[in-house]
Amino acid sequence: MDIQELETTAALAQIELGQGDLQKLGDAVSQMLDNFRKMNELDTTGLEPTTHALVKDNRVRPDSVEPSHLADALVERSPELEDRFLVIPNVL
Amino acid sequence: MDTLETRWKQFSAKKTAYLAYAKPLEQKVHSFLSFRPEAATAGAGPLAGLPFAVKDNIAVKDFPLTCGSKMLESLNSPYTATGVARLEAAGATVIGKTNLDEFGMGSSNEQSAFGATHNPWDVSRVAGGSSGGSAAAVAAGLVPFALGTDTGGSVRQPASFCGVYGLKPTYGTVSRYGMTAYASSLEVMGIASKSLELTRKVYDLMKGRDEHDQTSLDPEPGNTRQVKTIAVLDGLTDLEPAVEKAYQATLKTLRDLGYTLLPVHLGTLDYAVAAYYTIATAEASANLARFNGIRYGLRPVYAENPEDLIRKSRTAGFGDEVKTRIMLGTYVLRSGFQDQYYTKAQKVRTAIRNELQTVFDRADLLLTPTFPTRAFAHGDKSMTPYQQKLADKFTVTANLTGVPALSFPAAVEDGLPVGMQFTAPAFEEARLFEAAARFATVVGVPDCPGTSLDWSK
Repeated sequence: MDIQELETTAALAQIELGQGDLQKLGDAVSQMLDNFRKMNELDTTGLEPTTHALVKDNRVRPDSVEPSHLADALVERSPELEDRFLVIPNVL
Repeated sequence: MDTLETRWKQFSAKKTAYLAYAKPLEQKVHSFLSFRPEAATAGAGPLAGLPFAVKDNIAVKDFPLTCGSKMLESLNSPYTATGVARLEAAGATVIGKTNLDEFGMGSSNEQSAFGATHNPWDVSRVAGGSSGGSAAAVAAGLVPFALGTDTGGSVRQPASFCGVYGLKPTYGTVSRYGMTAYASSLEVMGIASKSLELTRKVYDLMKGRDEHDQTSLDPEPGNTRQVKTIAVLDGLTDLEPAVEKAYQATLKTLRDLGYTLLPVHLGTLDYAVAAYYTIATAEASANLARFNGIRYGLRPVYAENPEDLIRKSRTAGFGDEVKTRIMLGTYVLRSGFQDQYYTKAQKVRTAIRNELQTVFDRADLLLTPTFPTRAFAHGDKSMTPYQQKLADKFTVTANLTGVPALSFPAAVEDGLPVGMQFTAPAFEEARLFEAAARFATVVGVPDCPGTSLDWSK
């Protein structure tokens, strides 16, 4: 994969790559992509894609209210709290 | 109840002796990321008094849930995974969270952000991965069983490396609620233990539909029949000589036990690794998008704007292997490349499923080695992360097709265990247990040198 493709992909993945990473991760990604291209040797004409191993049909449930007791436990686990507000870094 | 289980039932009464045994051993092996044996209680139910360990990408209330990543180093879980909760309800107690390759991505445990686990058989070697901590803790006699997750072989390969059983159940039979998602269409919670009977018992207690996981299901009653015919791969190559030797010996033992061995050709096996990593990385890139420093994860002290915060969080929080896989997954899903890679892989997945079905039309089980090598040395240059991925060829098929598979201890060669793998049709776990139990009457489960269950000695 060329550097520009790699940078575009990294931007989409929201990861910053330094010069060393571009080389190192770029090589690892290219090596795997070469391996992926082997799949082209296999004729898959007429085959439907499998998205899920065993799921046969969509499962539905009644649209009813279920209690959840997680809210307080989640809020308490925030690194920084002001009353029940989560404190996050100033980003503006 | 077998002897292993009987001995472990005394655990809460013998904690002092246990700690004297476990602490120095754990220091050498480093199988746990958090270890709280003091908390174990006697409990009541079919697993009363049994302590167990849980891979650190599975939620257990008030335990850390690091996933082996700096990203989640400070996360403490507010709830318990369904599979674990069902075992707790049966009387078992979690005594620790085990080490893993970051987010389950790796085959050596060397991708853990908190240091690798060492193989209890030889600490200069890896324990395997990604559930390496779970397999090592079981082999070292620190717990009677441990839970792992199996996305592409992550329970079975370390089980093979550590000389224990490793079960990957049928997809969906064990709820994924509370399991940190890596590749949702492939993964399932699995079990490592030195006791086949206990493995079966734990599986029976964990399985079944869960309202919190829409893909979970009740195992369909299989057409379980006595195992008579076992398919074996024709022209199996590229095995390490010690594994080849163990494989040939296994074939002989199975023949002597009266099984008919049916040579089969699996042409799609050559494409299984490519299809697996295409799908797994694609799903990973979507699943790991949630780790952004806002809802979860490592948060930078300062950021210019929200996008900068997310980038800084992910750049500092993820290790190289995770970044590589997210990049790969992002690439194969990019517009313009999707048909070439992702859709193609899904079609290959169909081809693999169809071919495996033709095998199970003629045979009750499929036998392969679990992994082409025994446990390799830390830093082995011939086992790069790329080589490790290629070596997943025997395990990934069960994940792509959703069927169950079991790695069982088959031999010890030059002081290192070798595992073999049975694969069965969906919901036919009973066949795996039946054949492995018969095999164990000839080749027993090896005891790792330096380990014991009698803590008073």
